[in-house]
Amino acid sequence: MPYTIIDSCTGCGACVRICPTWAITGKKKDVHQIDEDLCIECGACGRICPNAAVKDRFGHVCAMVKRSQWERPAFASDTCMSCSMCIDACPVNCLALSETGGPKDLHGYPWLKDEKACIGCGFCEAECPVGAVTMVVPVPKEEPVKAKPAARAAR
Amino acid sequence: MNRGYMGRVLMVDLSKAEFREETIPDEVFEKYLSGIGLAAYLLYDRIPAGADPLGPKNVLGFVSGLLTGTGSLFSGRWMVAGKSPLTGTWGDANCGGSFSPAIKRCGYDGIFFTGMSEKPVYLYIKDQKPQLRDASHLWGKDAIETEEMLQEQHGPGARAAVIGPAGERLSLISGICNDKGRIAARSGLGAVMGSKRLKALVLDGKKRIIPYDRKTVHKLSRKCNKWVQFQPPLGPSIGAALIGSLLRVLPTAMAMDGMVYKMILRQWGTGGLNQMSSEWGDSPVKNWKGSNVDWPLKRSKSADPDLVKKSEFIKYHCYSCPLGCGGKCSMTGKYSETHKPEYESVLALGGLCMNEDTDSLFYLNELLNRAGMDTISAGATVAWAMECFEQGILTLDDTDGLDLSWGNSTAMVALIHKMINREGIGDILADGSRAAAEKIGRGSEKYTVHAGGQEPAMHDGRQDPGFAVHYCVEPAPGRHTIGAQLYYEMFQLWKKVGGLPRKLPFQIYHKNSKYRATEKRALETAACSKYMNVVNGAGLCMFGTFLGVTRTPTFDWLNAATGWNKSPEEYMEIGMRIQTLKQAFNIRHGIDPRANRLSGRALGIPPQAQGANKGRTVPIEKMMEDYWRQFGWDPSTGEPTGETLARLGLSVE
Repeated sequence: MPYTIIDSCTGCGACVRICPTWAITGKKKDVHQIDEDLCIECGACGRICPNAAVKDRFGHVCAMVKRSQWERPAFASDTCMSCSMCIDACPVNCLALSETGGPKDLHGYPWLKDEKACIGCGFCEAECPVGAVTMVVPVPKEEPVKAKPAARAAR
Repeated sequence: MNRGYMGRVLMVDLSKAEFREETIPDEVFEKYLSGIGLAAYLLYDRIPAGADPLGPKNVLGFVSGLLTGTGSLFSGRWMVAGKSPLTGTWGDANCGGSFSPAIKRCGYDGIFFTGMSEKPVYLYIKDQKPQLRDASHLWGKDAIETEEMLQEQHGPGARAAVIGPAGERLSLISGICNDKGRIAARSGLGAVMGSKRLKALVLDGKKRIIPYDRKTVHKLSRKCNKWVQFQPPLGPSIGAALIGSLLRVLPTAMAMDGMVYKMILRQWGTGGLNQMSSEWGDSPVKNWKGSNVDWPLKRSKSADPDLVKKSEFIKYHCYSCPLGCGGKCSMTGKYSETHKPEYESVLALGGLCMNEDTDSLFYLNELLNRAGMDTISAGATVAWAMECFEQGILTLDDTDGLDLSWGNSTAMVALIHKMINREGIGDILADGSRAAAEKIGRGSEKYTVHAGGQEPAMHDGRQDPGFAVHYCVEPAPGRHTIGAQLYYEMFQLWKKVGGLPRKLPFQIYHKNSKYRATEKRALETAACSKYMNVVNGAGLCMFGTFLGVTRTPTFDWLNAATGWNKSPEEYMEIGMRIQTLKQAFNIRHGIDPRANRLSGRALGIPPQAQGANKGRTVPIEKMMEDYWRQFGWDPSTGEPTGETLARLGLSVE
C-alpha cells in the first residue's frame, strides 16, 4: 500500500519536485495523485508537504519536517564492509564511494556526496546488513553561527 | 507477497522495437529459482531448435539473482544466457559489478532480447518506461568510453552493460562489460549482442527489492561477514609460491579449507595464486604443452602477486560483497588505470604464452576489457598461434610479419590489436582457436586445446581431474567456475546435504586417489554442478560460496528471502533440474555431449614427460559416464532419459 494524497492538497507542487521516481502528477492548484506502481514509499512527499495532505502506507497523515531537520546517513567506518549496498539503495544517488583507499586500508568507504539531494528516506540504513549506517538529524555546525554576528559587526 | 524476486520479465523484440512484460508465476521460481534457472526455463522454449546463434531467432537474456538486493552478501552477480555462437551449445556467462541489482530495481528478474535491430540501438529504462534509443554515436567506441558517455548522459544512477568493438565485429570470443572492466566473457555472448546491434543496456530503476524476512537475512549476513573479516597477516606472496613448490614434491595432497583461499583473495585478489598455481601444476604453460620446468619461479615472478598489488590504489567490491577481491591499479602508458588483472588473464596472457613482460600484461588486460574480449580465449588463441608458428604451420607471411615466437610480448600486443580490429591474421584468430584451425588447416588442429570449441580456463585437469570433467560435461563446455575436487572440498556440502562424501579440511590423502574414477568422485562432481546451479540461480558469487555452505549460508538465505521452507536436498534437486534442462537444450539443438570432450593434450593423452603433472592421464571416459549416471542421464550418450525428465517435472520434446 503506497502513499496517498488527500483532499487537503492545494496543488503547490512541492511533492512533485522532491519525488525521486516522478510518481506524483497533477495540475497546479489541484489535488495531486501518486502512481502506486512508481511509488517506492520513501516518504519525501510527506515530509515536505506544507498542508498535511499525504498519508503514509499505514494511513497516518505525515507531518511536515523542516528540511534542515531531515535525517541524514552517518557512516561507521569500523563496521562498514565497503559492500556498496547503501549506494545502490539510495533513490537519489547522493552517496558515493571514496575514490582512493588509505595507505593501510585499501578499501573505499561510502560518504554523503550530495548532501542537498538527500531526502532522508533511510533506505541506506534499512538495507545495510551490518548496521554501519545510522540516520541522524544533522547538528548545525557551530562555526557559521559564530561567524555570522562577527561579519555583521564588521559591516 | 514479497519473496525477494520481482515476478516479471521484460521481453524486447528488437526487430519490431516492441516491449512485452510477462508475469512469471511463483511456481516457476520454486522450481527453477531466478537467475540461470529462470533463463534456462525461458530460453528452452523460446529458442527454436537449430536457431542460428547470430541470427534473429536467438534469445539473449540478462538475468539477476534471486538473492540480489535482499541483504545477503556476495549477491552481486548477473548472468547472460543464450545459444552460444562459439560452441553452438547452451551458453551463459557470469559477471560481477553493480548491474545485477539494477535489473531488479527496474522491476524485472530478467530482460530478454529477440530479433535484430536494423541500426545500432541501446535499451534505456527509467521510471519503468523502457525505450530503445539510437546508438549510432556509440558504435565503434570501446566499452569504457561507451559506459562513460552513457553515464554522463543519464546520470550517475544509471548502470550500463555494454559491448566493445570485439562484440560489434562479432568476434566469437567476445563478452559483455559493466563497471568499466568487469566482463561476462565466456561463451561468446558479446557477439550475440553485437549481431542484434544492441550496443548497451542502461538501467536506472528505483524499485525496492523486498525479501520475505529481511531481519533474518541480515542476521545471517552479519554472521557470514565475521568470517570474511577475519584476516591475519599473510606475509609476502613468495610464501604461497613456495607452498606450491612443496605441494608439487610431496606425494600427498591436503584438503583445502575455503578460509585459506578467502584470506588470499582478500590480500591479493584472484591473482594471489599466480605463481603458486604454475608451481604445483594447476596452471597450464606454453599452450598446455609445457610445465613448471619451462616456467620456473624465476620466470613466473613477472606475475608476482605482490608486484601486481604494488600499483593497486583502491580495492574493488562488486555489489554486496564484503570481500573485495578486485582492485583498481594505476599504470603508465596509453591508459592511466585498469582493473587489477585477474588470475585467468595473467596466466592466459602470461604463462600460457610464456610472456614475462608485466607491463604488457597490464596493457593487454585493459585493452581486452575495453574491446570486450575474453582474456582466457584470447590468450589461449595467441598461445595456439605461437605453437603453430614454432611448428612452421604459420610463417611470417601468414602473420603479417609478426614474429610469434614464445613470449614475444610486442608481437602479442600487435596480434591482439589485429584480433580486435579483425585485420589480416587477426580476422582469422578473432573467433577462437577452433575456428582459426578450421580456416588454416595444415594440421594446426592438433595444437588446439578446447572443449566443444571453447578454450578451457587456466586450471589444469591433469592436476585436478575435477576441472577436466566439468570442462567436458557442462552444457556450456570449457567452464572452470562450476566444480572441481578442490571446489568440493571448499563447498563443504556434506555438512548440509545428506549422502555426500566427507572431506574434512586439511585432511591428508594420497595424490593418486584423485585420478581414480570412483563413484565417490562422481558424487562429488555432480554435487558441485547441482550446487553451482543453485548459486547461479541465487546470483551469488562462487568465491563467496568457497567459504563453505555453513559459513556462507546459501540455503538459509534463500529460505529467509523467499519465505519457503525448503531443505538443502530440495535445493540440490532444483540445481539438478536446471542442469538437466540445459542439457536437454543442447540435445534439442543437435549437440552430441560426447563431442564436447576436452582436447587430448589437456587430459594427459599423451602424458607429460616432466613437471608437476608428469605421467598423469585423466580417465575421462569413465568419469564422464559416471557423471551422467549420477544425473540419471544415459551414461553412453549423455542424453537425459525420459524417466529423469519425468521425475524432475520437465516437459521437453
